Amino acid sequence: MSVAEKKPRVIELDSLIGKRIPKMDAPEKASGRTRYIHDINLSGQLHGKILRSERIHALIKSIDTSAAKELPGVHVVITAADIPDQRPIGVARDHFPLKVGRVRSERDEIAAVAAETEEIAEAALKLIKVVYEDLPVISNPEDAIKPGAALIHPEPHGADGSHEHLKQGTTIAHKGKPDNVAMTFDYAHGDVVRGEAESDVVIEDTFKLHYVTHCCMGVSGMIAEFDASGNLLMYSNTQVPFLHKREFAEYLNMDPARIRIIQPPIGGGFGSKLDIYPFEVICLYLARAAKRPIKMLFTREEEFLASPTRQPVLLTLRSGCKKDGTLTFRQVHTLHDNGAYTSWGATTPFVMMQTFSSLYRVPHCDYHTAAVYTNNPYAGSFRGYGNLQATFAIEQHMDMLAEKIGMDPLAFRLKNAQDSGETTGQGMVFKSCGFKDCLTTAATRSDYTRKFKENAANRSKPGNIKRGVGMASMLHVGGGAKIYPSDGCGTILKMDDFANVTLITGASEIGQGSETVLSQLVCEELGLPISAITVVNNDTAITPWDVGVHASRTTFIAGNSAIGAAKKAKTKILAVAAKKYDCAESDLDLRGGFVIRAGSGEVVVELSKLLRNLHFQDKAELVMTTFYYEPPSVHQDKGFKGNVSAAYAWGTQVVEVEVDTDTGTVRMTKVTGAHDVGRVLNRLGIEGQIEGGVVMGQGYALTEDLMIENGVMKNPNFRDYKLVTAPEIPEMDISFIESMDGEGPQGAKGVGEAPSICIAAATANAIANATGVRMFELPFTPERVYRTLHGRTPKLYWKPWRAEQ
Amino acid sequence: MTELKHYFAPTSLDQAVECLKDGDVTILAGGTDLTPQSQAGRLKIKHTLMNIRHIPQLSGITLEGKEIRIGTLTTITEIMQHPLIRQHLPVLADACDHFASDQIRNAATLGGNICNASPAGDTLIPLLVLDASVELASMPEAKLYRHSMPLSTFFVGPGKTRRSLCELVTCIRIPLPAEGHVARFHKLGTRPALDISTISIGIAGTLKAGILSNVRVAFGAVAPTPVRASQTEKALEGQRLDAATIEKAAEVAHNEVKPIDDVRASAWYRKEMIHNITKRILSHVAQA
Repeated sequence: MSVAEKKPRVIELDSLIGKRIPKMDAPEKASGRTRYIHDINLSGQLHGKILRSERIHALIKSIDTSAAKELPGVHVVITAADIPDQRPIGVARDHFPLKVGRVRSERDEIAAVAAETEEIAEAALKLIKVVYEDLPVISNPEDAIKPGAALIHPEPHGADGSHEHLKQGTTIAHKGKPDNVAMTFDYAHGDVVRGEAESDVVIEDTFKLHYVTHCCMGVSGMIAEFDASGNLLMYSNTQVPFLHKREFAEYLNMDPARIRIIQPPIGGGFGSKLDIYPFEVICLYLARAAKRPIKMLFTREEEFLASPTRQPVLLTLRSGCKKDGTLTFRQVHTLHDNGAYTSWGATTPFVMMQTFSSLYRVPHCDYHTAAVYTNNPYAGSFRGYGNLQATFAIEQHMDMLAEKIGMDPLAFRLKNAQDSGETTGQGMVFKSCGFKDCLTTAATRSDYTRKFKENAANRSKPGNIKRGVGMASMLHVGGGAKIYPSDGCGTILKMDDFANVTLITGASEIGQGSETVLSQLVCEELGLPISAITVVNNDTAITPWDVGVHASRTTFIAGNSAIGAAKKAKTKILAVAAKKYDCAESDLDLRGGFVIRAGSGEVVVELSKLLRNLHFQDKAELVMTTFYYEPPSVHQDKGFKGNVSAAYAWGTQVVEVEVDTDTGTVRMTKVTGAHDVGRVLNRLGIEGQIEGGVVMGQGYALTEDLMIENGVMKNPNFRDYKLVTAPEIPEMDISFIESMDGEGPQGAKGVGEAPSICIAAATANAIANATGVRMFELPFTPERVYRTLHGRTPKLYWKPWRAEQ
Repeated sequence: MTELKHYFAPTSLDQAVECLKDGDVTILAGGTDLTPQSQAGRLKIKHTLMNIRHIPQLSGITLEGKEIRIGTLTTITEIMQHPLIRQHLPVLADACDHFASDQIRNAATLGGNICNASPAGDTLIPLLVLDASVELASMPEAKLYRHSMPLSTFFVGPGKTRRSLCELVTCIRIPLPAEGHVARFHKLGTRPALDISTISIGIAGTLKAGILSNVRVAFGAVAPTPVRASQTEKALEGQRLDAATIEKAAEVAHNEVKPIDDVRASAWYRKEMIHNITKRILSHVAQA
């Protein structure tokens, strides 16, 4: 800084919050320099490949790997028989990475090869001979619960007919299941019978939600290596490194302290990397057996076949209201197609029941889910986590009830919408709640009410293009979700003698922009430009513990953690400065890289100089702090009640469509969104996240459909699995409702999942507005819409069913 | 681990057809179908992979007398942007504008689209209604031999044509449309582009004093090959395009096609769309 200045220099007050700050990883990604897992190669590495089942449901009678083992360049061929210590994996521990005796779905892993090249590994797979004995295939969850249905995980019996699961605490993988029910969820508040009795109008409908998958641009992969001391290093795309470290240790029967996970930049997560999948454990088995680093990457087809999907759901919803528009009750039964194994998809009811119980004030609510085994792909976690499915049903019923009582759909929603200060039947406490602002903002900006009436009036006019407008709203956790013993995140903050900061955070960057937002929060606290920060966030040997990227929690939880560490650093710096310049700490502040007088902004000393003085004095000290943030949320009780998140996010989206009645084609023309995000931190980042989420919701609504027929995936490719492309993306008008959450970092709440949640529901309402015809099944492909418009879609009905307890 | 034994990149047509003599050759032009098909194992590369992209005679669009000649190597982008095509054959340019993505259009060739013989091939429908013919070259003896056949007789089945293994498609010839010529193409899919057709329709003819003659109708993705619809053509030939004729033609078209169910659509929906889109195109022509 200039020493010639005579006048005291003044630094004006400025803020990074709410600015448009480019993502820190953008230049590298845009210029193709980012080194994804695909770009990493370790010296001496081998390539791993997996042989998958040729059958959907069958006994494995024999596996012959001898020819594969003899192929030059092949190092290791393994099957379940080679891994005597193999342990079941997954949410319900019902899943062996390498299948033992039986395959249950198309993606099932039979054997794996490690070879010098990918090509040799592929060739070796072709030499493995497997003899199967086919079993009946269950591809429809309704068939899975029929009496006498074939069992997907039967109880093993010995030759004498006795059960072979004598050990206590054994998992489903060992002891089997007497039926096909994987998991059940039952929730209630109030008394639905009373609620129904008080209703003037009651409706009941069945909704059917389909399979879609994440379609991350970067396919799945892992590189694993054991060092000479037996320590395991993984380059992994996981979203939850610390929990997975522990889980991998269990699967390998090793000490978790010997496992280190490094996360290279990820080409998309969206929830898909929340569970451990067989390929990862198999990669470790290969590395252990080959004593060489193993690199395993999926092909795109494998990514479709062997990645998790969004949870397909069959849902029957019964709702009622009074003539004055007061909601009376909701009763929900769902049948979740669990697929052959249990992953996080089975647990989406955690989120679904929140929407049913608490999006609107509803005095009586009854919710039941049975997740049942089939021979289909298994569902995992996916942005929105069941909320797209729940919202699809509930928001259509909101329009239908409003129509029945002759009320404007917006007024009906406003009458039942939650407000701040409320505690719901499920025990969720809404400290900040911008729901009504979201509703009115989205409706006003889209001119919803006028268009809604005009479109309905225009239905019978000539012409094949019908315009429609529809709205839907959502509630989602926005302040973490206390699912695990801790929902916290740790931060280490270090300042160097040039006043640069290194932020070491447990929070993973999976493309959502957390790195940039956390940097903003820290720099805001320390009065530094964003260029003064380096983020380290991808190595379990360095970063402090975090529960993982899920539940839209990173900005809120990791943000509060980062602010906590920055505040501690600031306190230390100001204490040193106050002593040195003989003033009160409260008279000083940090701004623009300087210690300044809090009132005038007058420069006291350059921060870097102060830090150097601190460092290079006799009693040398460095500024390094740590902080662990645990949100003030609570675990749910056994009835799923409790304030599980420290804050809740709200949003309303209005979708406008043009339906071509000659073809059934639905063109999404505009999306008007209003989101209660607490506060906008990085305006550029949040706009990108909302726009991306809208497009993901659009794909779910209109084009994406992972077709499974008798357990066989019909379209594992981007030719027939249709993502939305650029020309179809609608005009967007996004507003932010800043409810300034008291607990949020700078007032912010989580928003990662929110923007995809409402689109399908709002689109259904828009199609109904345009045509008078209601769509109960996704996706709204031209053919499905055309069939429904022409009365060729039979009315869906699934009779509510509950598993025996 | 490829089966490929030999790679050959001829610089003249003579070299190319000579190489084709033994028949054990896979021809590479744009590679946009060949690459994914061979990688997916649906197509096996033969003994020799012959890259024909260095043969100058096979490129370019020229007016030759009363015909437009489009070299087999001409890319979809070149066709879409070429002044001769835009002036004389706008329906072909229109179809090219619905063809895959920009990247694929920059590489994919017209000859490749024809020889790939997909029932849903985007250029095939306009070419059929434009009376295009295919020129094939071979070297039965020591001399280059060329012969032509109408495109309407070229396709045999999905991926199958009447091109023999020792022949090379050198160009497409399209007669210059007569005065009053109208032609329309419509591709229906889930997305506006980068999609395989659910169905596609081409209709062409000469419109004089409200009467349609020389009618050509072709449908894509409703049969094992792109097909001419002779009954629909008959229903329109010499007719005035009034509401009754249009409805009748759409009915005939609906009854004429025998599509199948697949991942993209059901046979029922395809037939409905053949009806509705035929009607839409004809109404547009009538109103134009």
